[in-house]
Amino acid sequence: MTQFSRFLKLSAISLCVLVPCAHGARVPQRIDIKQLSKTVEDVVVPLPNEIFGALNKLGAVNWKEYVRSDKGINFTERPRIALLLGTVIADGFVAVQAEDAPAVKEIGQRVLTLAKGIGVGNSITPHAKAIIEAADKRNWDDVRQELDRTQNSVQQAMNEVHDEKLSQLVSLGGWLRGTEVLTSVVTKHFSVDGAELLHQPDLLSYFQTKLHAMPEFQLPIIREIESALVQVKPLIDVGDARIPPESVRKVNEITTRLGNGIVTKDQDT
Amino acid sequence: MNSRVNVLLRGSFPLLVILALRPAAFASVDDAQSFALQAAEPYVKEGFQVREDYWGGDLGAEEKKAVRQQLFKGNEYWFWLGTEVDRAKISVHIYDSDGKLAEEPDGWDKGHSAAAHIIPKTTGSYFIIVSIEKSPEERTHWALVYGFR
Repeated sequence: MTQFSRFLKLSAISLCVLVPCAHGARVPQRIDIKQLSKTVEDVVVPLPNEIFGALNKLGAVNWKEYVRSDKGINFTERPRIALLLGTVIADGFVAVQAEDAPAVKEIGQRVLTLAKGIGVGNSITPHAKAIIEAADKRNWDDVRQELDRTQNSVQQAMNEVHDEKLSQLVSLGGWLRGTEVLTSVVTKHFSVDGAELLHQPDLLSYFQTKLHAMPEFQLPIIREIESALVQVKPLIDVGDARIPPESVRKVNEITTRLGNGIVTKDQDT
Repeated sequence: MNSRVNVLLRGSFPLLVILALRPAAFASVDDAQSFALQAAEPYVKEGFQVREDYWGGDLGAEEKKAVRQQLFKGNEYWFWLGTEVDRAKISVHIYDSDGKLAEEPDGWDKGHSAAAHIIPKTTGSYFIIVSIEKSPEERTHWALVYGFR
């Protein structure tokens, strides 16, 4: 009986050791990516704080420098509101990095106003409230989670009414603001690893494809973004090569210009 | 992104028990997502932020789906795959843009979920390969969530 129980124990241990091995053993070490082309899903656009988190690990960043007070004027065109909404949510992540509670609360209110302007205010109200409450308690993890939920709820509400293009503009606005901040930080304190965070060619192509499919949005800012992405592409699509400081600076100039365009009214509208 | 869905659903154990007992005809990608989120729960305590956005759909047995994802060097990621189908065997693995296996060796698959872990060596695009290795159902719902820290 003792021998049998020892045998059982050994078998159980062997099984525990072998099961994780078996998980890895069957896995091909290499696959042909080209064969997958028909089954590839679109990217999930990373949150700005995915990039900010990676940036933080490269050295201390004075995030207070990047908190923006100008949250944009009130637009009437829905595509413009969508772009601005994405930008303001990204500003929320910056304010969280800076642990700036008044800025976070202001952004929570602004997000709600913009969401109402685009017709999805109802789905955002609880999130805006949660953002403000969590900022009051300085519970930054909860604020981050609520900002993610806010963006998700806005986009879900838009998708439900077949406004997928506006949903994509929210993502684009957030990505542009995130890239503007990333390049500002890396321009000030250049590092190869910091510059490498810009290596996002597939994400850029994704946005280019989506913008190309929005000919009905005849707004100057949309077309300006579309042509600016063409300029950005060669600066970040460098394969295995390093992204030099000059390219980071150029991307910063472009995204700063676009960021200003998103928060201010077009001259001819 | 045809099968990507944007529905918020938080899993809990009692809910999962109910879901597991539901007839397959009434099951959905949301149910699969609950199992993926359940798998992610212990990692949240370790500091991983789980994204609200996720991918989902259905696949036949032995079918695969590739999900392209931008990952950043310096971060650490876990991808959790879930299905509501009992006795289905599912897997998830991570490859770099050259098609080379890029995951850490501590991935796992058990019951209704599977997971893969990566600490990217470079910033760029990666492919997350989702697979229904076997299933008693003709089509098997799946949902993939991810978290980072």
